Amino acid sequence: MGKDEYHKADAKALLDDRGYSGALIRGQNPALLFEKGVRDRITESYYWKEQCFGLNAATLCDRAAELKFIGGTTGIMGKPTPFLCLAFKLLQLVPEKQIILEYLNFSDDHDEEEEEVAKSNADDAQEGGSGEDRNGVGNRDGNGTTSGIQDPNALGKLGEFKYLRCLAAFYIRLAWQPVEIFTTLEPLLSDSRKIRRRTKEGFVLTYMDQFVDDLLTKDRMCATSLWKLPSRANLEDLEMLEPRESALGDEVDLLDAEDEASDGDVQIVDSDG
Amino acid sequence: PRHLSAIGESGQIKRSTLDEVRERLRYLSRVRREAQQDVVVDLDARLELSRE
Amino acid sequence: KDWDDDVEESDMNAIDDTDGVNPEAEYAAWKLRELKRIKRERAAIEEAEAAHAELERRRNLSEAERK
Repeated sequence: MGKDEYHKADAKALLDDRGYSGALIRGQNPALLFEKGVRDRITESYYWKEQCFGLNAATLCDRAAELKFIGGTTGIMGKPTPFLCLAFKLLQLVPEKQIILEYLNFSDDHDEEEEEVAKSNADDAQEGGSGEDRNGVGNRDGNGTTSGIQDPNALGKLGEFKYLRCLAAFYIRLAWQPVEIFTTLEPLLSDSRKIRRRTKEGFVLTYMDQFVDDLLTKDRMCATSLWKLPSRANLEDLEMLEPRESALGDEVDLLDAEDEASDGDVQIVDSDG
Repeated sequence: PRHLSAIGESGQIKRSTLDEVRERLRYLSRVRREAQQDVVVDLDARLELSRE
Repeated sequence: KDWDDDVEESDMNAIDDTDGVNPEAEYAAWKLRELKRIKRERAAIEEAEAAHAELERRRNLSEAERK
């Protein structure tokens, strides 16, 4: 068994700078992505000691599925949210990319399995599958009424556990490379699901797309300063990124028309340059 | 405590594979779906009762 | 759950995160947010281009002065 197959149950090795021999993120101990005060408050917290001890990338899902809000630290004591503690756990585990992507985009394929079963049983029972569908998310066939968007992100089909999706997005922003950050997170800008966020004072409502936009544009989120990302325009200039395509698609043209109508002096820049 | 026995004496946790993560999420998804169904069934039952 | 002990359930439940209650309104609100983002992105591009043009202008100016 290679030593990589195991990790420590607690954070001792992670917090011991001299002894740290785990995976590095941009050349440094991943724990240092959180500020010292925040790290201390996390490792002193009851949630960290009782609920995060001994988690691995799979059992962490149990905790993440229970999350009811995102946030950094709260109250005068700066108590860390469960969300922040789990993010710190991820910095300890440094799971492989595919696992983070699974958190981010998990989609339960039980519908498809049922479909297959239904197909193979088609001879004996014609009606078996149809009753089940109504209990599901109901978006496989029912996409017509609200919008023309077929984006599985918009429908909440991807990233079924939305607070786990937030957690993965936060981790990706901290731990991955700029181009990956943009290409992996930007599809979430069409995920309009509601997200409860805990602030120092109380709770506020935000949205998945808003949270992701904040991660891409702000320099501080969830009690954590986000390392400076090169701008999107910069990466486009270097031809490392294609211009972002909005899930609004053709509807963006309406915006163009609106702009032309409202202020004639603004030059609309065509994107084919 | 329960969690201590799960990790053995070494204090080391086995890293999980992608398949284990996927399996875990499917399981959690099923649990949640069933919980939601129970709520619906429960509601239906109560509606039935109130009609009687 | 004692690790949540300072979370006031009523405070938390005051913010309802249930999706799909009013899909049309939720979509409309998202669309507004997305349009704002697009406008912001375009403004940033225009700003960068304006800065670039200004740089060009100054360079041409100084070249002219050198002659």
